[in-house]
Amino acid sequence: MTIPLGHYLILAGVIFSIGLAGALTRKNAIIVLIAIELMFNAAILNLIAFWHYKQYAALTGQMFAVFAIGIAAAESAIGLALVIAIYRQSKTVDVDEIRSLKG
Amino acid sequence: MEHLEHLAKQQWLIPALPLLAAAIQSLLPRSQRKLSAGLCLFAMGAACVIAVRAFLATLGHHGEGHEEVRAVANFTWFEYGTTTLAMGFILDPLTAGMAAMVTFVGFFIFLNATGYMHDDENFARFFCFLSLFAAAMLGLVVSNNLLMLFMCWELVGLCSYLLIGFWFHKPSAAAACKKAFITTRIGDVGFFLGILMLYWKTGTLNLYDGGNGALEQAGGLATVAGWWGLSAATTIAVLLFIGAMGKSAQFPLHVWLPDAMEGPTPVSALIHAATMVAAGVFMVGRMFALFAAGGTPEHPTFAMDMVLWVGCFTALFSASIAVAQFDIKRVLAYSTCSQLGLMMMSLGAGGYSAGQFHLLTHAFFKALLFLGSGCVIIGTHHEQDMRKMGGLKKYMPITFWCYLAGMLALSGVPPFAGFFSKDEVLLETFHRSKIAWGMATFAAFLTAFYMTRQMYMVFAGKWRGGDHGHGKTAGHGHGHGHHEPHEVPWNMWVPIAVLSVFAVFLGFAGTPLIGGNLFHHYLAPGEHADTEGAGLVMGISVAIGALGIFLGYLVYGRKPMQHADEPDPLAKMGGLFTALNRKWYVDEFYEATIIRLTMATGTFFRMFDKLVVDGILHGIVALTRAISQVFRWIGDELLINGGFDAGCEGVRASGGLLSKFQSGRVQNYFAFLGVGTILLLAAYFFISIQ
Amino acid sequence: MDYAFWIISGITVLGALLAVTLRNLVHCVLSLILFFLGIAAHYFLLRADFVGAVQILIYIGAVAVLILFAIMLTRNVTGADGPREVIGVKWWAGSVIAALTAFLLSFAVSGDKLAGTISPGDKAYVGVADIGRGFVGDWVVPFEVMAVLLTAALIGAVVIALEEIRHRR
Repeated sequence: MTIPLGHYLILAGVIFSIGLAGALTRKNAIIVLIAIELMFNAAILNLIAFWHYKQYAALTGQMFAVFAIGIAAAESAIGLALVIAIYRQSKTVDVDEIRSLKG
Repeated sequence: MEHLEHLAKQQWLIPALPLLAAAIQSLLPRSQRKLSAGLCLFAMGAACVIAVRAFLATLGHHGEGHEEVRAVANFTWFEYGTTTLAMGFILDPLTAGMAAMVTFVGFFIFLNATGYMHDDENFARFFCFLSLFAAAMLGLVVSNNLLMLFMCWELVGLCSYLLIGFWFHKPSAAAACKKAFITTRIGDVGFFLGILMLYWKTGTLNLYDGGNGALEQAGGLATVAGWWGLSAATTIAVLLFIGAMGKSAQFPLHVWLPDAMEGPTPVSALIHAATMVAAGVFMVGRMFALFAAGGTPEHPTFAMDMVLWVGCFTALFSASIAVAQFDIKRVLAYSTCSQLGLMMMSLGAGGYSAGQFHLLTHAFFKALLFLGSGCVIIGTHHEQDMRKMGGLKKYMPITFWCYLAGMLALSGVPPFAGFFSKDEVLLETFHRSKIAWGMATFAAFLTAFYMTRQMYMVFAGKWRGGDHGHGKTAGHGHGHGHHEPHEVPWNMWVPIAVLSVFAVFLGFAGTPLIGGNLFHHYLAPGEHADTEGAGLVMGISVAIGALGIFLGYLVYGRKPMQHADEPDPLAKMGGLFTALNRKWYVDEFYEATIIRLTMATGTFFRMFDKLVVDGILHGIVALTRAISQVFRWIGDELLINGGFDAGCEGVRASGGLLSKFQSGRVQNYFAFLGVGTILLLAAYFFISIQ
Repeated sequence: MDYAFWIISGITVLGALLAVTLRNLVHCVLSLILFFLGIAAHYFLLRADFVGAVQILIYIGAVAVLILFAIMLTRNVTGADGPREVIGVKWWAGSVIAALTAFLLSFAVSGDKLAGTISPGDKAYVGVADIGRGFVGDWVVPFEVMAVLLTAALIGAVVIALEEIRHRR
């Protein structure tokens, strides 16, 4: 493959930024979670890209990616449970209206 | 053979066409009824052309000595590291005959369904399911790989679930589809274990693979030890047969098939007569080498014996139930169970080609009978109780004559198709076991009897439908303003007319009378045909069929029922008739044993959970509490609180200042994070450029 | 292979964009699945087969389904995202921050150090068997910790979602 490593990193950067934009602008908490998933995936894509180009014979890159995916799964489970719990309490998933953290 | 190889490479087209049609249909809006049905029919017709072409090609090869005609096209499905999973398609007489039959019968059933489902608002969805079903069934038939066969097998089960439950708003249909799905799934556990074991022992799931296929290693497997003191080949065969028992409704997993009659009648014809239930028999036939491996005609393997006796028992058991049913479709359903039992029995007796031949002929005439009953149901405005029919010969002449052909074929009257195939089955069994033969012959007698009973109840006498409430038919879409039965439209009677031609003549393909059993030579050129006792068996089966029809005439024909609420003449037998009518209480038995056992186990574990597990937890909680109390008195109250209070005041003052930033909006915090990252990155680049 | 990269990248970015911009929540999840598939395809392209399979199983099989469930539990099933969102200060601030991040990130990776790197060719292939041995060998501790984490997350999720019922009693 003649695609250089940089292409993958830029791709991951673009996806990360899309996720960031989504997480910052959308009102719906579920979409915010989706956006965070995008950012997670961008990071894992970086891991795999670096593994492929730099540490191809070693296991570490893939291992790390698998663990990261597992953690992401745990994160999304907790996140969505939180969204559901918040919805039960305040009947909304609009992040602008959830302000109980206000000091 | 090169031509065959070429055709084998095209076998994938046969299931692919209906699959493509199903994919397109699933996207069509509900209003596109004609397009949906047209796509379905077109795909099936095209698949039929390909299948018949392949069939003719294999036909051209028979007679080249005893070599088996077979061409396979294997390919790699995917590679996973160093493991390769292969798939493949096969073209041999078994597949070719089956594929041609399924596509041909399927096409006419679809055509009939356009009439039967004419008034249903979910017409398009129905045909989408039909296409998907056909694709799965054909995939099962053409696959040269047990895993692919299993996947299609499960897809077929899924489609059956969807189609039986097509009118899911009826609670009985919803229950029936779940029952069918779960019951067959019990068998599939065995099937899957068999597949795993086969893969474990041979390392491949391709059936034929130039000497490396699983079936080609069957001889070797027969010498390896398996479980329960059986050889590996026999163990696998027994496990696979458990799957076939579920799919082909063999005792004790037969309970789903009669309930499956809740689906639309074309579905009953397609799934529960011609194709899906035949899949179990087909699979046993396909894996026959494994079943037979290690046995001799004198000492067959345990698997063969199991197939023989399960089939034999099912044949007799279901035939007896069919005698006492009143629902026109349930009679046929139990008859199907019984005939499938005969096929299994034949395979178990070593009569490979006889069993498959009966499978083919049965598919034609049973599809005919089911479609005929569908015509009757439409003609009488959705009436299924035979007691409320009668005299339909006058109103529905075409249906009557076609139904008569199917009935004679099923009863085994020469020279109709069922006679020759059933006779061969009986002959094979005769050589193997006289007891099984006796039971099967008695089942044949019962078959002739209950079919005669059905004919008289439905078509003879006078129309009894008017006896009961008119409200049932009022407002029905078909109504021409009166409640008398009427003949069905062309798209419903043409299919049964075509099928009845086959029901009459197909038997000659396998008759020993002309040129020594063509079908036998075609399917299994190497198999030795033992014709000893043929005359005796044939004579007895003709006599017993005639006796059954005559008895049926005596009981039901001489004095036709006058009113729908008249008791059945056989009801004089009292308890036996009730037992038969209630299907030997098998459902009640399951209810009382397996289902109750499951509930009891559940209750037991709940109690265990409550008493033991919770008890331990509560103990731990109490202990932890006690320890924490101790620490609270000594450590917390005395030492920490004092020092902490002082520090708190300072923190509170600074916290008040910082809390101005805490807007409570998560996205604001997140934005701060983003800005911070940007500043850090910018600073980093600024420094590194320096 | 080059074409594959560009096509898959296009699909991936498209899926990502749609996932955060569409109004209908269910459509968002469908785009998200498209995106996950694109990422998995990239993994296959990079010959990380196992990670690709894990990606499909966990992300599409578990996470996407979980999100769908969350949508169904929090609003009506069709999941329309309420009134159209206004393009206000928040929107502009978020977009600017994201754009700046994108710019800085691409600036970072287009430096001299990474520009010339190309594929390593065929070195030893890391197969599933190696990964499996890794899980029970060198990486057994992280693996077990992972298991504990997932169990804790599972219990935590159930507890959080059940809280309401406990209050009601």
